[in-house]
Amino acid sequence: MKILVPLKRVADPDNANKIKIPAGGATIDTTGLEWKPNPFDEYALEAALRLTENGATPKTRGGEVIVVTFGPKECETTLRAALATGADRAIRVDAKDDELDGSIVAKALRAIVDKEKPDAVVMGKQAVDGDSNQIGQMLAQHLGWPQATFAATIEEEDGALLVGREVDGGVITLRVKLPALVTVDLRIVAPTSVYSKQTKRDFKYNDGVRFAALPAIMAAKKKPLAELKLAELVSDTALKVQYSRFEAPPSRKAGIKVKDVAELVTRLKNEAKVI
Amino acid sequence: MIEESFMKALFHGVVAEELIFPFPSPSESERDDVRQMVDSVKRFCDSSVDSAAIDDAHEIPREVLDGLKELGLFGMVTPQAHGGLGLSTMAYARVMEEVSRHDASLAVTLGGHQSIGLRAILLFGTDEQKARLLPRLATGERVAAFALTEPSAGSDAAAIQTRAELSADGRFYVLNGSKIWITNGGFADVFTVFARTSRPEEGQKPRLTALVVERGPGVTSGPPEEKLGIRGSSTTSVYFDDVRVPVENVLGEPGRGFRVAMEVLNTGRLSLATGAVGACKRLVAMSAARAAERKAFGRSIAEFGLIKDKLAEMACQTWALESAAYLTAGLVDTGRLDYSLESATCKIVGSETLWRVVNDALQIAAGVGYMKEYPYERLLRDARINLIFEGTNEILRCFVALSGMASPGKELAEVVRAMREPIKGFGLLSEFAVRKARTALGRERLTRAHPLLSREAVLFEEYTVELVKAVDKVLRKHGKDIAEMQYTQRRVAEVAIDLYCLAACISRTTRAVELRGEEGARRELDLTTMFASAAGARMKANVRGFDRNDDELRKSIAARVVGDGGYPFDLV
Ligand SMILES: Cc1cc2nc3c(=O)[nH]c(=O)nc-3n(C[C@H](O)[C@H](O)[C@H](O)COP(=O)(O)OP(=O)(O)OC[C@H]3O[C@@H](n4cnc5c(N)ncnc54)[C@H](O)[C@@H]3O)c2cc1C
Ligand SMILES: Cc1cc2nc3c(=O)[nH]c(=O)nc-3n(C[C@H](O)[C@H](O)[C@H](O)COP(=O)(O)OP(=O)(O)OC[C@H]3O[C@@H](n4cnc5c(N)ncnc54)[C@H](O)[C@@H]3O)c2cc1C
Repeated sequence: MKILVPLKRVADPDNANKIKIPAGGATIDTTGLEWKPNPFDEYALEAALRLTENGATPKTRGGEVIVVTFGPKECETTLRAALATGADRAIRVDAKDDELDGSIVAKALRAIVDKEKPDAVVMGKQAVDGDSNQIGQMLAQHLGWPQATFAATIEEEDGALLVGREVDGGVITLRVKLPALVTVDLRIVAPTSVYSKQTKRDFKYNDGVRFAALPAIMAAKKKPLAELKLAELVSDTALKVQYSRFEAPPSRKAGIKVKDVAELVTRLKNEAKVI
Repeated sequence: MIEESFMKALFHGVVAEELIFPFPSPSESERDDVRQMVDSVKRFCDSSVDSAAIDDAHEIPREVLDGLKELGLFGMVTPQAHGGLGLSTMAYARVMEEVSRHDASLAVTLGGHQSIGLRAILLFGTDEQKARLLPRLATGERVAAFALTEPSAGSDAAAIQTRAELSADGRFYVLNGSKIWITNGGFADVFTVFARTSRPEEGQKPRLTALVVERGPGVTSGPPEEKLGIRGSSTTSVYFDDVRVPVENVLGEPGRGFRVAMEVLNTGRLSLATGAVGACKRLVAMSAARAAERKAFGRSIAEFGLIKDKLAEMACQTWALESAAYLTAGLVDTGRLDYSLESATCKIVGSETLWRVVNDALQIAAGVGYMKEYPYERLLRDARINLIFEGTNEILRCFVALSGMASPGKELAEVVRAMREPIKGFGLLSEFAVRKARTALGRERLTRAHPLLSREAVLFEEYTVELVKAVDKVLRKHGKDIAEMQYTQRRVAEVAIDLYCLAACISRTTRAVELRGEEGARRELDLTTMFASAAGARMKANVRGFDRNDDELRKSIAARVVGDGGYPFDLV
């Protein structure tokens, strides 16, 4: 199977408090931020790698995983990391962050899919910076492909994927014919979440995403990394989404300590007015 | 060449600032690789390494060792041509820093293998030896060990009794003897062994030869030693009983084994230091969290002056250590061959900084720190070894002083000779002596230090002059007798060590200011200022001590202690 996995780098969510908003709130100041791959995208890559191997012998690759990202040259770090963990080749679409919105990325991805003709696109359900949660859905629409969002499990069948989606009341299982688009949720990296046709059903993965061995990190430098121009992929590069203003969340007020349950109840009733 | 070594040059009053400016930094692409490697190590350790369990079991589980091998951690320094990663010194240092941050037993095992175990093959091996031995060592299929120490030869390597006797046909050596406290001794397959190859002669320094010995008939290991710390690492005796070692396995030249051992330990000492950096960083983080969280007297203890002071000391000393260690790693990567003083300095500073930092961290945690349920006591036990192995800190202080003074000593003889033979005049003087004659007129400058660091730079310059003056004075006064004057050696070493760390901090902070401006480099500036003031006070005391001290009193008290067999008093 050939799978395309879009990746985005995001400001390290563990250091979100370092994000600065200059006066006026027109932009976010990203200087000095640490960048990390979007966690849901890392899960998508892990799912794609699991789908293209026999879990017991992961060094023999049984398919092709192509990773793609949008952004300046520095974003290649994210791609190299993906190549080191097992992706076969990478594409960087050269663009500045402020030239991109969900709609443009979805259209550009469509152009890449038309060219690469993968059997599936597996992607994170959302990026943890903008939390838009829409590119997967838009891309499936552009492609006219079946989609399964928020996947918690994926099983490969002949010509189809069986996708489990966790919802409030239980699990919905969808069978999507290939080619198909899947967006993944965090449970996709549990030990028994993803099975390719080759992987035995009693095989258990390590929990979480795999990490690269050091030799693979060195070898990843020799894997192909292509660069494309945004304008080669989309004709209309006008932004559909305009950010009008950024604001830091209001800092939380200090809490108070109550003496006993009686005081708690009184305050909840009279001050918070919740009971 | 003296100019190869910043520290050796310092002993001449020469500030070879071109060696230490700009502060070394890896290329962007190497930095990316190393970050990812560090991330892999972190993920592996977080998910698969239980240090408390390793400490309890006195053993690293098979799966963890296999995991380390799969990650490629046994082949970090072996060249790519021989199946390894061929990491630079700096990259290796940073990855080992991460390993040490997580678990000292793992770090010592990996260090025993490649910082010292197989290092002689890298440094002195022939192409044939490398091709034959390195590939399987790079994957960890085979593990290496460094076997120097013997029951009667610890610090004094010349006392080695293990013998290698050349066979009549000259094709192999027959090796007999026993080594003790060998890291990885229980399971290593390849040993770098140091043995006497000369006849024992009274009063004659023996000739040592370094041999690669593969586990086989006649090679046996003793039981694992029970230890204070690094309990997961294997430490055993290794016995050699009529072991036939082909002459093809000699490392370097026969009879030049002492040099092999010293070169290997140079690299070992540096990676010990960068390992200490990792452990220190972890402890600083643990203490910051603990101090913020623990409440006493209605406040978090981080608000008390005496706790603040510990946190500041921990951060400042870690900063100086990291700066010195990575400056040295960078020097090695630019091909400086002579870094023996720098690496010995890093070993001393690394082991002692970690020891103080772990002690402070435990003190901040107080009762909790003492309990086995928490990691502090294990970290304290694990840290202790660093002051002992790869050359005790006493031996290394003497080494820094004597090796640093050796060349000014020669030069002094040169000057004296030149004065006696005025016809030849100053033509006899080396370039350095001339430069030194110039320094007599005014001190050498650290011109590349950022102006914001001018006070620190002046301190450095002034004490460089003090060091040279002191060295000059003791050499003139005591000549060769200096070899027996360890109190004086220690003062010389202390000043040189503080100067090197200070220079490293200044260079690194200069780079930070250039990159990020004064405000952006506030942290670095403050740490360097704090370090400089502490180092200044120490250097002042040490310099004063050259003239005014109670060395003789202390020596006679010590002699009485030995004579009395201990402490002689009892109040009842
Ligand atoms: C856990 C562990 C692992 C080890 N791993 C290895 C290994 O892998 N390979 C290996 O070859 N060795 C190894 N060693 C041995 C280690 O290198 C020695 O312990 C060390 O060199 C000190 O030798 P010693 O213990 O015999 O102390 P000694 O040499 O007996 O020294 C005793 C004390 O006297 C001091 N002293 C000695 N000579 C002088 C002097 N001239 N001037 C002033 N003070 C002096 C020392 O500093 C020390 O304080 C290991 C040791 C340990 C504990
Ligand atoms: C082996 C062992 C045996 C013990 N036996 C007994 C026993 O028999 N009986 C008994 O009652 N207790 C006993 N203790 C408890 C012991 O007395 C406490 O651990 C000790 O008083 C410190 O308290 P703490 O550990 O809670 O540290 P904390 O009070 O939490 O202190 C943490 C750190 O903050 C510092 N600190 C706290 N307040 C201030 C301040 N105002 N200014 C500056 N620094 C501050 C402390 O010096 C310490 O470094 C024992 C503890 C141990 C480990």
